[in-house]
Order: sequence, then structure tokens, then C-alpha cells
Amino acid sequence: MVTQPINRREFLGTTAAAGAGLLLTSCSPKAIVKKASALSKINIALIGCGAQGQVLLDSLQVIEGIRLAAVVDIWDYNRNSNVRRLKENGFDVTGYHDYEELLAHEKDLQAVVVAVPDFWHAPVTNACLNAGLHVYCEKMMSNTIDGARSMVATMRKTGKLLQIGHQRRSNPRYMFALNRLVRDAQICGRLTAAQAQWNRAKTDDLGWPKHSDIKPEVLAQYGFKDMHQFRNWRWFKGLGGGPLSDLGAHQIDIFNWWFGQTPKSVMASGGLDYYKNHDWYDNAMVIYEYPLAEGVARAFYQVQTTTSAGGGYFEMFMGDEGTIKMSENPGITKLYREDRAKAWDELVAKNYLSASAVERPAGDADKVDVRETAPLLQYDIPVSFNKKIHQPHLENFFNAIRGTAKLNCPADEAFASEYVIHKANEAVAAQKMIAITAQETEA
Amino acid sequence: MVAAPDECDGRDAAAKAATMSEIHVFNHHAMATQFQVRIADEDKTYAGQAAQAAFAVTDDLESRLSRFRANSEITQITQLAVGEKLRLSGPVFACLNIARKMENATRGAFSLTAAALKTQPTKPLWSLPANEFTIRCDSGRLEFDLGAIGKGFALDRMAELLREWSCPAFLLVAGGSSILAGNAPANSAGWSCGLGDDHSPQRYRLKNCSLSGSGLAVQGKHILDPRTGLPGTLRHRAWALTDTAAESDALSTAGMILREDEITAVVGKNQDWLVFLQEKENWRHLGQRQMPPEA
Repeated sequence: MVTQPINRREFLGTTAAAGAGLLLTSCSPKAIVKKASALSKINIALIGCGAQGQVLLDSLQVIEGIRLAAVVDIWDYNRNSNVRRLKENGFDVTGYHDYEELLAHEKDLQAVVVAVPDFWHAPVTNACLNAGLHVYCEKMMSNTIDGARSMVATMRKTGKLLQIGHQRRSNPRYMFALNRLVRDAQICGRLTAAQAQWNRAKTDDLGWPKHSDIKPEVLAQYGFKDMHQFRNWRWFKGLGGGPLSDLGAHQIDIFNWWFGQTPKSVMASGGLDYYKNHDWYDNAMVIYEYPLAEGVARAFYQVQTTTSAGGGYFEMFMGDEGTIKMSENPGITKLYREDRAKAWDELVAKNYLSASAVERPAGDADKVDVRETAPLLQYDIPVSFNKKIHQPHLENFFNAIRGTAKLNCPADEAFASEYVIHKANEAVAAQKMIAITAQETEA
Repeated sequence: MVAAPDECDGRDAAAKAATMSEIHVFNHHAMATQFQVRIADEDKTYAGQAAQAAFAVTDDLESRLSRFRANSEITQITQLAVGEKLRLSGPVFACLNIARKMENATRGAFSLTAAALKTQPTKPLWSLPANEFTIRCDSGRLEFDLGAIGKGFALDRMAELLREWSCPAFLLVAGGSSILAGNAPANSAGWSCGLGDDHSPQRYRLKNCSLSGSGLAVQGKHILDPRTGLPGTLRHRAWALTDTAAESDALSTAGMILREDEITAVVGKNQDWLVFLQEKENWRHLGQRQMPPEA
């Protein structure tokens, strides 16, 4: 057991939960802000102002030490409204139609954040890396394995940084849970299984305001059949990868990250069983087999787009002594101890866990005190997180540019996860188990 | 399933015209209550897409404004030490500016820190430094509760979006306590809105304005007087009619606490505001704003 319950990387962007204040007294948030603001500004641009671009933009507006110089979108409606809102909020930004126009005009950029549709990730990222910029690219790296591989190759060739947007890898709660609870304290015992899901209620396809259509020739130039496909590209083959890629990518990446390796096989079932005008599967159930050193662990993943039932979105790691159910939503996070495991009071004392009450000492085996029924203790991770959920991952990227941090999700590491996600879609189509070698997951 | 636009355009014109004449109603859970979008004089499919986009606005605002979300801006504001600042997003900065204006206009009867005196000896103070888009904690702990303005602010933002989508004939409802009316449906003088319980006899035809109600019927004596930190309700119910929902939401809450002479003074300085008070089966209004037509 280590004596330092939280390290600096886990702390950045974190505040202490009630009861865990001792963890962080030597490192106040104010000090962090002062340090960041003393750094020189990094000039950046956001390429892609759609739904995910908006999420990233939210964080980019509050991160210290960067200057948002430009936003890019081929949809005038989106680009112009973002430029207007940003200017209203004090940001001096320029809007550009596409990444080529950006690169032609903005000569003082150090980095770009890429949030265009998946099939544009590789071309845009490769162009920006080749232009000498560091790149933060949303997941999936690409809608094809070859596209993702080309991004790793360009990253290596140019020596620039390429961070992939699996933002949980920079989430202090996830980092704490993995490093302290799973690895140091081995709270789960031997890991034997994992389960993750993301179930969403049925939604209608996205529309767009009247009079905001992109001209058909412009849509065609950028690979879209029509405005409907532009707005709903995630559902179409050749543009995105469907729900396993959109939602599953985050969580299957957690399987690989926490197990510390890639699976040796995948089997899956799914289909386009509900929606009538999409290409990609609207539901899938996937089983990976991980050959861990201590024995096989199987990981089940399901994604549904017709029901929100099933307890939200989470990743659960199950062992013979305990289970951790993780989620970006702290309200869903849970810890369970198996009866056979030793008490967690020592972990509570060391601020590895918080508990709903003080655990009573075991006492002498030949004595007992009788009183009211005691409730079962509830445990939680003693790290809360008060920033926007993508903010630490972006901050990690900018700190890596400054040389004060190492990327938490460089493209070559992300490639391994994304390879096995592509294989899940392949397994659905093939309706059979597909073997995966460690070698083929390397870019 | 929503049809692709080319499928919409190919539909029978008569069928499309039929959906245009209906009022389309869409529901969504947010901010611990039910939001509703009603859109008139529009194709149902398009209205549904517009409503979906409007609900996304509400969800986004909830993630910023909820004090129950660990990473909301309101939660981050609560954690500010005295003298510290926090950079705010555009929507939150705008909402807090309105809240500050309403606090001043209502003589402190509406305040984001209404409950703070339950846990702090004095009212916490805050400021919005000009041109910085930040909030600064000037004293105390900024335990904000946007329960009396957040839903109204969300309705205003939803309305902006629906107008952008060229759906001007709408009625937006937040939990039954705040409504924001856009244009009236075709061949109507306005949306029929009542004061009080279902099928209230006191009804008005509203368009391009907002009506909010506060009262004790649902949550009991839940309205604290921010000036004392104690329950300060002087009446069973109060309503406010203004141009924007953020204003009506806040003003109706203040209307529960202010004495009648204070309300008269408040609405006397704001010509666009009306406050309705109920005494048994009779409703009275205070303010200079022209009364809407009765329904």
C-alpha cells in the first residue's frame, strides 16, 4: 500500500470530497491557477463546431494559458453563431470555412482541436500535423483502421503531439480508481469480468433550421449526400462508425486501459433492427476475452439506442473480492465488497475510500453487543471533480505542449483500443468470433 | 422515426397541411420538472426537430446551472474563496446578470442566495467584473440556488432557438410555473393562460410575453425571504407577467414576499411588469403594463 493517496496528475482538476480534505491541503486550486496563468499563451483553433465541438469549446473558454484564435465549420449557420457568441463573451476569434482556409491564413497557431465528422479526422489531422501543429483529435481516430494508422504514422514522422479524445484517461476519478484502488490496493482481488454499457432513449434524427441549408455542391465536396446525412453522419457507413464507435469507443477503451492490454478475441451480435433510414447497427452486444496474467477475464459491452433503461452509462470491473462501477456521472459510481474480502476500514483510514459510517471493529470472536439493525456501509471514491468532463484531457494536451506533462492518450496508445472497437463492428457483421493478436493492435 | 427532408417534401400536400393546422406538443424532463414545447402552424416533423433542439438547450443549461451537478458552474461558484474569480460561460454570465438586475429591482426580495442565511451569519456578496466575464466572491460562500430564475432563463433561450428555426408560434412551459408565449397560433388572439389551478376562470390570451406563478400549494412554505433568511411568504400565490421568462420567474417569487406597497413601487419603476395577486376568488393586478385580453 502506498502512503501518497493521490499524485499530482490525479490531482489536477480535482477537488476533495467531504471527508478527504487532508488529501489536498498541500496543493490548493488557487496555486494551480496561478501557475497556469504564468505560462505563455498557446494559440489554438477549433476545427468543427458541431455537437462535440460545442462540448470542447465550453472547456476551451475556461482553460488558462490558451488563446482561441479561430473556429472552423463548413456550415455557415454553426460557424457564424459560434463566432458571434464567442465575441459576445470576450473572445477575439475569426471564423473559417474549412481547415485548408485556416492553415492558409492563421500562421501563429501552435495547436488545433479537431471535432469534425469521423471520416474527416485523418485528412484534417494529418494536414495539421504536417503543417507543424500539435493536434487534439476527437475519438474515433478515424472511421477506418487505415485512417487511424496513417495518423500515428504522421505523428511519428512530424514529431508533433497527437492526443486522442478518450477523455476518461485524464479524469482524476478514473485515474485515482485505477492507480490507487485497482492496482495499489487491489480492491477487486483477481479481476474476472467487466461490464459496460451506454443505453440511450430513442431520439429522432437531427434537423436544421429553415434557410440554413448548405448548398448541395458544398455538401458533395465534403462527402455528404444531403443535409440530412450531414446532420446525422454518425449513422452512416463511410462517415462514422455507429453507436459502437460513438459511445462504445469511450468505454471499450476503458476495458483496455484498466486491464492493461488488448483482448485476444471478440464476438458480437447486433443489428439495424429499429431505425429504418440508417446504415449502422442501432444495438449491439459484445464480448471480449482478455488473457490476463492471473487468468482470463471477459468483458461484456452493450449499447442500445432505443431505451435508456439499464442504469445509465458505466464501466464495471468485477473481481473475486470486490467490484468498482465507474461512470463519468459520480452518482452512478459504486463500490461493492465481497463477503470474503477483508474489511476496507484500513483503506478508509488512508483516504483511499470514503465510507457512509465508521466500520465497527471486528472485536473478540466470543463477544457480541446487541442494538439496532446496522445498515450496510456504502463506500465511495474520495475524489470529486468540479471541472467540465473534457477539461482535464484538454489541459493535459496543452501541458504536454508546454513540456510539463506526458500525453494521457497519445495516438499510438489510442490506436490499440480503436482497433478492437473496429473489430467489434466487424464481429457483428461476420456473426462469429474474431481472433485478435497483440501484434495487429500496434500501429 | 423522423423522415428525411426529401421524404417530407414528397408527402401528400394535404396531409402536410393538416399537420400544419395542429398544435404539436412535445415533452421533456429537465431541471427536476417537465418542460413542454407547443408549436403551432408548422409541419409536425419539423416542429419535432425544432423542439428536440430546444430541449437540448435546456439540458445544456441544466448542466451549467444545477447546484446538484458536481461540475456545474454554479457548484464551482460555491467553491470560490473570498477574492477568487471564476470565468463563466456566456449563458451563465448572462443569467447571473439578469439575476443581479432582478435582485436590485425587487429590493432584494428575489436573490440567488436566499437560503445562504440558513448557513451563514451574513449574506454572501458577489460581483460580475465588467468585461471580464467572471464572477468574484466578495464575501461569504456563494451558495446559489437558481430555482427561481433558471427555468425562466431556459425558456428565454429556447424561444431564441425556436425563432431561429422560424417557428415563431410557440408556447413554452416549465413545470407549470412559468410559460413563455411566442406568436399566437393562426386565427387566435393568443394562447389561453390561466392563473391558478386547472381550468382557472381567470384567463388571458397571451402572446410574446411570459407569465410565471409562485405559491405554496406544491412545496409548502418553501420561499425564504433573502433579506432575513426566514420564511417570508405574505400570500398564498402570486403571478408576474413580463416580456421575458427569467424576469417573470424571479418577479413572481418576489411577489410572494413583498408587501403590496413594495410591489406597487417595484412595478412602478418597470412599466413592462404586472403582478397579479389573488384574494379568495378575486384577482387584482398591480402595475402599468397594458392588461392582456381575457380569454
